[in-house]
Amino acid sequence: MTTTDDTIFREICGLVARFAPAGVQLRPETELASDLNVDSVAAMDLVMEIEDKYEIDIPINQLADMRSLGDLVELVRQQLKDR
Amino acid sequence: MLTPTPTANETLPFRTADFATLAEGLDYAARGATGVNFFSARGEIATALPYAELRLRALELAARLPSAGLARGDRVGIIAETTPEFLIAFFACQYGGLVPVPLPLCINFGGRDAYVERLRGMLQSARARAAIGPAELAGQLQQAAIGTLASFVGTHEELAALPAARPFEALGAGEPCYIQYSSGSTSFPRGVLVTQEAITANARAIAEHGLALRPGDRCTSWLPLYHDMGLVGCCLTPALTQISVDYIATTSFARRPMVWLKVLSEQKGTISFSPTFGFELCARRAANGLAESFDLSAWRVAGIGGEMIRPKALDEFARTFAASGFDASAYLPSYGLAEATLAVSFSRLETGVKVDCIDLGEDFERRRLARPVRPDQAHGRRTRAFVVCGKPMPGYRIEVRDDLGRPLPERNVGRVCIQGPSLMTGYFRNPEASRAVLLADGWLDSGDMGYMVDGELVITGRSKDLIILNGRNIWPQDIEWAVEKVEGVRAGDVAAFAVTGEDDQEQLVTVVQCRLGDGAAQEKLRREVHATVQRLAGADSEVLLVPPRSLTFTTSGKLSRAAAKASFLEGALRDLDELPTVLEPLRREARPLAVAS
Repeated sequence: MTTTDDTIFREICGLVARFAPAGVQLRPETELASDLNVDSVAAMDLVMEIEDKYEIDIPINQLADMRSLGDLVELVRQQLKDR
Repeated sequence: MLTPTPTANETLPFRTADFATLAEGLDYAARGATGVNFFSARGEIATALPYAELRLRALELAARLPSAGLARGDRVGIIAETTPEFLIAFFACQYGGLVPVPLPLCINFGGRDAYVERLRGMLQSARARAAIGPAELAGQLQQAAIGTLASFVGTHEELAALPAARPFEALGAGEPCYIQYSSGSTSFPRGVLVTQEAITANARAIAEHGLALRPGDRCTSWLPLYHDMGLVGCCLTPALTQISVDYIATTSFARRPMVWLKVLSEQKGTISFSPTFGFELCARRAANGLAESFDLSAWRVAGIGGEMIRPKALDEFARTFAASGFDASAYLPSYGLAEATLAVSFSRLETGVKVDCIDLGEDFERRRLARPVRPDQAHGRRTRAFVVCGKPMPGYRIEVRDDLGRPLPERNVGRVCIQGPSLMTGYFRNPEASRAVLLADGWLDSGDMGYMVDGELVITGRSKDLIILNGRNIWPQDIEWAVEKVEGVRAGDVAAFAVTGEDDQEQLVTVVQCRLGDGAAQEKLRREVHATVQRLAGADSEVLLVPPRSLTFTTSGKLSRAAAKASFLEGALRDLDELPTVLEPLRREARPLAVAS
């Protein structure tokens, strides 16, 4: 379960902050597409940054299942464990 | 150390797709050493699959298909990832008497529901009896198949584990080859039925005339295999001409576009296609000094197609990569559409991009005449440079017709109609949609607008999107491109169309996807867009700022203006101003990467 004091969560927040419209708080349940305006082009940039930062490969097929910031953090955690 | 397949066969004579079927073409290619190669997201080779091995594995899988409860001629949906498994399954269908239906991928955050709907629509339309995909998408595929005719739904591994049986007879001459979904909405997808005759005829024309393929050619591609340009241009045509291909997954290209050029450079690719935006993405991402590290000098055909060709973006790429040995004369503008299998016309090899600069004045707007303007006369006039897409390939004919179907002389803008050996006979099980585009005289109405000049085709836009204001023709692309240049707006963020208002007057509407959260910034953007449209079209436009992802795209990444207009008229597209302060949950429309045709 992702919490706001989680290290990976805070790091990912640092990467997605630029997408957040004014007034939107970054929480595990914040939605990537609708709350943060991460469109398909931005999504690819974000995935690349995450891959480079953690030296992991994000399976693109799983993006459709990633709705929230918390989902994304869990995916990163899983990939780090499997590395 | 894994070695990619060689570029040319040493002993096997080169044949340009003179086969009756796709299976026969692969049988021949399998006698040589060439094949397909798959590269990782970082541009390292992951798999080399010689055509000989592709054939063996496809034959082996073909023997499992009867055990999946299928009958000969049944349709098989296959998720078209850029992987060996997709190609093996696609060719297994050819050898095993089944009709493959390539299915798209989804790469949107939270796009699952819309993706499942899209897959279901296609499985239903194709009346698919089986659906195959990679393990990671098994759940979505299972969900999509609920309520469809698909009795076998599973992974490549599950299919391969079925008991072997006597395979059905291979798809023969005169039979279907595959079904291509390229247009239509999620609920009413339209699948082009491509026959063996159509694919071999189109590949032959592309190989002999369009590209003049020869031993020593090598193809590099990041285009998705669920689109005609990727599947026909960069997979089936190479297989029918024994040419080696180096694949980069579309998703890898989207993350790291430079991987395309890295692989092309290292493998000495000679043939590679992209829509304009692929070149644009590379030019934008090219960091200082990076261009010098590539060697693009072997690249003799840089094909361009799939969307309106934008010459300025191509100039930018050519300038940026001149240091890598890229030669702008390699640019090869082309025109085609899935309804004709793929290609219809190519410009001349080794001549680069040729533009036709025309006057956008009264003659163009009112009489649809494309009068040329010499550069020295352009001053003070509204002009527009369109890219010339070449002459029809031998065996193909292009006629520009008026709305009543009468042929028009050169430099008259009208509907682009096509005849040739690879036209579809219809959309699969959709006579109504077929009748709308297949004309009584056997020609196809492409739905595109254009004109001919010296026997060469110039495309100006889509006919159904044409905006007519007070008798003047306004091309929505023009408005969209201009607005995309406004600060804060991106390519693909804008849709322009006209609605009929009071007194039957047409009213122009410009919809812009807006990422700005601040009200003052939004108002500034609104004013700038309004002013831009005013400057360009000389018309007052209603400007609607909508949240990102409000606009919809076809599976091939083309903006659907018709959908935008319908949403607007229904009141579903609402301005940010009218939305509650906390953004309401937005529709999660599956919007694939805007790639390829």
